[in-house]
Amino acid sequence: MYKYYVTARMSAQEQTNGGILYSLPTILLKICTLIPLLYLWKTIMSSGAKAEMSLEQMLSYTFISSILADILVVKTAATGWLSEGVLLKLYGRPFSVLGQLMAQTVGGWVPMLLMYSMPVLFLAPLLGVRLIPASPAFFLSLLLCVSLGFAIDFLFACLCIRLRNVNWLIDQIRAAIIVIFSGTIIPIRLLPFGIGEILKLQPFASLGGSPLGIFVGAGDVRETLLLQVAWNIILWPAAIFAFKKSQERMVSYGG
Amino acid sequence: MVDKLNLKRVLGLYGISAKMDLAWLLRDTKYAIAVIIADIIANLATVSSVFLISVRFGGIGGMSSNEVLFMMAYSTMITGIFIMFGAANNFRVSRIIGRGQLEHMFIQPVPVKMQLATMGFVPFTGGINFVVGALLLVIAGERLDLHVTPQWTLMLFLFLLATMTTIVARSYLVSTFAFYAPVAAEEISTKAIEGTWLLSTFPLSGMPSFVQIPLLTILPEGLMAWFPSLCLLGRPPLGLSAYYPMLYAIILATVAAAIFRKGLNYYVKSGSNRYLPYGFRR
Repeated sequence: MYKYYVTARMSAQEQTNGGILYSLPTILLKICTLIPLLYLWKTIMSSGAKAEMSLEQMLSYTFISSILADILVVKTAATGWLSEGVLLKLYGRPFSVLGQLMAQTVGGWVPMLLMYSMPVLFLAPLLGVRLIPASPAFFLSLLLCVSLGFAIDFLFACLCIRLRNVNWLIDQIRAAIIVIFSGTIIPIRLLPFGIGEILKLQPFASLGGSPLGIFVGAGDVRETLLLQVAWNIILWPAAIFAFKKSQERMVSYGG
Repeated sequence: MVDKLNLKRVLGLYGISAKMDLAWLLRDTKYAIAVIIADIIANLATVSSVFLISVRFGGIGGMSSNEVLFMMAYSTMITGIFIMFGAANNFRVSRIIGRGQLEHMFIQPVPVKMQLATMGFVPFTGGINFVVGALLLVIAGERLDLHVTPQWTLMLFLFLLATMTTIVARSYLVSTFAFYAPVAAEEISTKAIEGTWLLSTFPLSGMPSFVQIPLLTILPEGLMAWFPSLCLLGRPPLGLSAYYPMLYAIILATVAAAIFRKGLNYYVKSGSNRYLPYGFRR
């Protein structure tokens, strides 16, 4: 386990190699996106629009989605490293490739959590955001969300391997799918035409939108957790199997 | 010996880029079509999230869902123009600077600014977002019973030009950092353009002025789609002139040009350790 910890630590330190100022534009942009988005919801909800969630729930949903953005929708470096040749180098190290990717990703979360998420928490009372989850099941749901996120990411990496490194294309489509189907920006239950009822069953809905829904007290906790567990059970074996089969087809550029 | 620049030469350069784009489309049609579809899906997903909210709640901040659709169509057209003219990192110029590729441009017999203006033209593979945006604009216009006149069409063109000028000028302004720190600032223009793309799709109607004003001045995301859309709908917001985006674009472009030129002067004297004769960065 120590080698995974070291990998995560090196990944965290790598983010600050250029100095903390290097991360400042990203942090400022996140704040500049969060505040208008909160006021967008305030504008909508205060106009008398009827929604299944209250204003406080919606603000908390958006706020937590922003501060846990990297965790709620996991993205490893697998597809990028495939075209850069770095992924092949992981095979030369004495531990699991998928484990390295996971450790590297988790380590990469730490700088933004420390430099953005934690300081922004102090803004919560000013913005009318509640920071206490409605149910302790939120933490379990978050773990399941992270686990599922890794499985889905590895499946996308396998797709990239199969399609011979069209990683930009896959990243574009993946980003589009995540925006609508994960519920991290718009809660799935708020989508019009009743499509939320259908979309909540697909695997992306068990990513960010599920723990966020539990956090704000919207939605059925039991149903949400069951769906997350079910998708984890289905997709993890599929991801491991697909990755094993895809390894022989791996063509990596760069080096 | 630098080529003489005239309109024929400029159009010829655009023609060369277009021919290369067509060649890619015809030789690798499957992949080209996949890229086109991915572009459309990615762009529509970004703009549709706000539109879906407006449909669900019957509008946002005094803007009806059809007006929000109009705004999203405008945003899609802007994305289309961006992709159509900026496919060779010429708009994300910090990548060219940070990768030491500016040197390759210095040795060409065409002025650098003309290369940057014409090199990324991909009308065949990159124009589809513009077409989709235009179609959505027509649909939104019909739903709003918009009265389209030659003057209105001219204003649409001017607003599109102003928005593109603002985007490119801001990109070039921040890309100046790449002259001084090519490694650290290689992706700064990507951050400046794409980091705020979602923000530019937000309608600011009904928001407090301390949110609206910074987004019309410091970070001009409100000028990317919201302000021009309302002007085209005959309702310039906040009591500002409909020509405010054009004025902002001119000022920003002037400032960006001056600062970029300063950075370029520094660059040609100090050089870059990122240059490699075979084109890509270290």
